[in-house]
Amino acid sequence: MTRIQLAPRGRAQRRSTSSYARKDLRLALYLVLPAAAAIFIVMIVPLGFALIASTFEYSLGQEESAVFVFLDNYAKFFADPVAISSLLNTALFTVMSLFLCMLIGVGMSVLLKSLNPRTGNILRAIFAMPLLISPIIVSLIWRYMYDPTYGLVYYVLSWFGLEEWGGLTDTTTALFSIVITDVWHAVPFIILVTSAGLTVIPEELYEAARIDGAGTIGTLVNVTLPLLVKTLIVLILIRGTDAFRVFDLIYGLTGGGPANSTSSLSIYAYKQAYENNEMGYAMAVAMITLIALVILFGPLMRNSARSKGDS
Amino acid sequence: MTKRALVTIAKWLVIVLFLLWTVVPIALIIVNSFKRAKDIFTDVPKIFFEPTLDNYVNAFTKSDFGLYFINSTVVAVCSTFIVIVLATFASYGLTSFELRFANSVANGFLVGKLVPGIAMMLPIFVIINAVGLRGTLVGPVLAHVALNLPFAVWLLMGFFRDIPRELEHAAMIDGCTRMQAFWRVMLPVVVPGIAAVFILSAQYSWNELLFSLQLTTLETYTLPVGIASFVGAISVDWGLSSAAATVTMVPMIIIGFFVQKYIAEGTTGGAVKG
Repeated sequence: MTRIQLAPRGRAQRRSTSSYARKDLRLALYLVLPAAAAIFIVMIVPLGFALIASTFEYSLGQEESAVFVFLDNYAKFFADPVAISSLLNTALFTVMSLFLCMLIGVGMSVLLKSLNPRTGNILRAIFAMPLLISPIIVSLIWRYMYDPTYGLVYYVLSWFGLEEWGGLTDTTTALFSIVITDVWHAVPFIILVTSAGLTVIPEELYEAARIDGAGTIGTLVNVTLPLLVKTLIVLILIRGTDAFRVFDLIYGLTGGGPANSTSSLSIYAYKQAYENNEMGYAMAVAMITLIALVILFGPLMRNSARSKGDS
Repeated sequence: MTKRALVTIAKWLVIVLFLLWTVVPIALIIVNSFKRAKDIFTDVPKIFFEPTLDNYVNAFTKSDFGLYFINSTVVAVCSTFIVIVLATFASYGLTSFELRFANSVANGFLVGKLVPGIAMMLPIFVIINAVGLRGTLVGPVLAHVALNLPFAVWLLMGFFRDIPRELEHAAMIDGCTRMQAFWRVMLPVVVPGIAAVFILSAQYSWNELLFSLQLTTLETYTLPVGIASFVGAISVDWGLSSAAATVTMVPMIIIGFFVQKYIAEGTTGGAVKG
């Protein structure tokens, strides 16, 4: 750091570009290699291992008695009613959570923007509080909220005579109860990012809309939302993939019950591995989760990656 | 009453309701942590009660909560440090040398974000178990590096790409070597990006449950696993788990107030800047 080479100015330029590039290329490789190696070892190798393991029938600790079954684990998945219902639960959870999160999140962001900036900023900071809370703590908080005897949810519902509501204990309402918890946890993130997106919309556009006589709704639909599209796509991508992978919240709130009505793909794979001791099948379920994510969100990801490159 | 006044009232009603929806659940668990069992289990939520620190004392003396706290800190610090170092070098290497495949590599890194935790957790568990490292903190550290690194590289590449090439060239013409130019000119400019990586990785590691659940054993439990073990028990000790949850979440909530800006920019890789 102390030694500064005082090379004559012309030298760097006179050097031939090819040798310069080759030296640079080697340095670039040295810089990239550690990260590439780390990702290879902790990501590619495990995924490859999972792919191979998913074609075997075996349980943990009994690898020597593993039987090669090729795609049987995958066929088993589609013949397994609990697996299929886990897939449907996961899809339903993702759709409901994503819809509510975007609706409430974008709505609140627009509402906050209409306040004076100081009040808006203070409220935004308060609204962001759930953001960094660990999902397992979120599930702890909400298990208490949903407690049929002492929970605040039932206390409030009793004002309206709705204390018979099933909450986490009824197969028809449990999944939705978890969606509400997820919304509580994730909406702050939407508000934060959407608000950042809103600040870059030039004030003149609103001015122009006002002069043209556009109402509040008209401005929202014709000015705000079109300019937010890029932000919204990124948000749908991040929130959608997060919701589709849901594990912690369900693990903490219901463990997949009652009667598997809240079992997601991640929960189901976990249970196959550690409760049923079907490691091969569990790996297959995990691979199916990965494939579903790539099919559902891959196109969206390509889209957002490309649009970023264009700008 | 005019229409305008009605709209204003409706607006503030929504805001107050949302404020209650956000704050009450958090406040409830914090208040519970200072309550005795008889004050927690009441049909009507009790606002006035005699506060106690028993739950906190119990959390640190009767359970291994203090140990979990240390474990979580070690895992978060180590994994975040590794991620920052590897990601900074790699993203600089990929952007500053006009490599032909840099963009494809960047998007490849981004695809890493699609991989569900469970698809990596099961094989990593089997491998860590096979090499006898289960129950050490190596497992969670590796897992958290794996999960955070791809996104960190992608995110920092965006920051490096925004720096004008001339800045680096000028430094090199003034006699800096490539690495000197990197340390003195480039690195200071991407500090906001590194801050975003730091916050996102550290909070992820601090809060992560799925991997730590099976990769750790009783002595190496991290905070989320410890709390999950309180929750998973047949009868939840609400006082004790509320105290544990409060100690775990309050630092993150406070940090959250200061870093919101970085999270907004960071998670979207600067895409919201337009």
